[in-house]
Amino acid sequence: MTTGYGAPIVTFDNVSKHYGALKAVDGLSLELRGGETVALLGPNGAGKSTSLDMLLALRKPTAGKITMFGQDPYHAVKSGRVGAMLQSGGLMPEVTVRELVTLVAGFHPRPVAVDITMRRAGIAEIADQRVDKLSGGQTQRVRFALAIIGESELIVLDEPTTAMDVETRRLFWANMKAEAAEGRTVLFATHYLEEADHAADRILVINRGRLLADGTPDEIKERAGARRLAFRLPAVDEAFLLRLPGLVNLEVRGDFVQLQVTDSDAALYAVLDAGYRPHEIEVASLGLEQAFIAITSQDDADAAGEPAKEMI
Amino acid sequence: MNGTLALAGAEIRRLRRNRRYLIFTVGLPVLLYLAVGKQNATSYGVAFKAFYMVAMATFGALSGAFNNNVIRISQERKDGWIRQLRLTPLPANSYVVAKLIASMVTSVPAIALVFILGSAYGGVNMPLWRWIVIAVAIWFGTFIFAALAVAIGYRFNPDSVQPIALVVFFAFSIFGGLWFPLSGGMQDFAKFTPTYQVVRISTDVLGSGTVNAAYVIGIVAWFAIFLGLAVLAVRSTAESM
Repeated sequence: MTTGYGAPIVTFDNVSKHYGALKAVDGLSLELRGGETVALLGPNGAGKSTSLDMLLALRKPTAGKITMFGQDPYHAVKSGRVGAMLQSGGLMPEVTVRELVTLVAGFHPRPVAVDITMRRAGIAEIADQRVDKLSGGQTQRVRFALAIIGESELIVLDEPTTAMDVETRRLFWANMKAEAAEGRTVLFATHYLEEADHAADRILVINRGRLLADGTPDEIKERAGARRLAFRLPAVDEAFLLRLPGLVNLEVRGDFVQLQVTDSDAALYAVLDAGYRPHEIEVASLGLEQAFIAITSQDDADAAGEPAKEMI
Repeated sequence: MNGTLALAGAEIRRLRRNRRYLIFTVGLPVLLYLAVGKQNATSYGVAFKAFYMVAMATFGALSGAFNNNVIRISQERKDGWIRQLRLTPLPANSYVVAKLIASMVTSVPAIALVFILGSAYGGVNMPLWRWIVIAVAIWFGTFIFAALAVAIGYRFNPDSVQPIALVVFFAFSIFGGLWFPLSGGMQDFAKFTPTYQVVRISTDVLGSGTVNAAYVIGIVAWFAIFLGLAVLAVRSTAESM
């Protein structure tokens, strides 16, 4: 668990959201602390958007309780302590960008100056254009401006960079880092692993509506057996390899052995201590991507193994 | 409330720039009155030119409050603008309240212009208090039509809302007797439409000065029904946007 941050500002206590038999979110419990930048990472359909929607009072949990700043989500959002940018957030057409940003600033109890916000979001030069005449990337920037127009303590972003071109994406994350540096808490959902790895202090991996892993990017990689150890070893003893410490995955093709392990040093020493002399030894760090795939596919396999429980 | 008023202000600004609004809501009733209004006939116990003034003002109110809202609401719900507003500190019902306020304002030009035409061009003449009572009756009509626009706009997608809006608009215009006065079986049926009721309250004030209470009850009942449907539509779609 990450320490050094403030008190919990968001708590999910055993939260579920069911649509008939579909469990979009299934007993999710988590805590966000003030000042953290947290990535909610999961494949499509994992329950990320539903979780954020419930946090933002757009949907009501079927069971469980969400608390934000000691309040229920609706009142927390209405108090102006949260800024949010979701996947589908249309804008009012037929007004200019400046008119729209000014309008929404007026809804906030503590608005940031309109000019400052427009500069931060990179929309100062399109201030007088009509909202319905903007490109996809420009629209996304305007929506980002609306998310940061209030002096909010928490910023929630659902797949914020999906429609962004590379340049906008770079600008966006530079901005987000600046916001976080001012002490704001940032929670963002993504399925871009790179983003989670670069931008987040902490990653929550969710799959099928449940929390699978919670830790720093390094901890997540470690947990998934995020080191790859490969070597050649004639007359290999598979039973021995399967007993290696921290083994997550084993692949043997002829004399070629590839292991996925949590601690590559320990595994290699164990091989050497047993008297084996492998050659062409390669040790590589796996990215978050493999870690993520390892965690979620393990979870999917577990689910498939016990169908009776899930079906009824 | 300030935020809601600001939103209503923005709604009014957008509409003012909208050509369809200027043509259909403001221009059409004025043109129709100029083309048809001056006839020597009697309708519902008043001169035709007076009846047609009331009918065209009501037509402007219907167009302003219903047509301008229903498709926009449906589109804005689909596009996610309503959802975006829910993420701001603006209270949950502000979107709908702002639409109602904006409708009350944007129907004023049509009503006022037709009244001015009726007086200056049609020669309609009556004491000031009657002008005011008629204006208020028609203005109340905008509430009814705006509530209906919310009920339909929240309930249906932009694709299906177009034909529905067209049917409702024409039904209320024709069966409400806005384009021509009704008689016989049509009139028996028309009595139940809010448009006819608004027109008849106005012609009663113009003519005999005594208003049939059934019409007043009628428009209040329609308002209650449409408002109830609007609240239901807003609530039941809250999770699906």
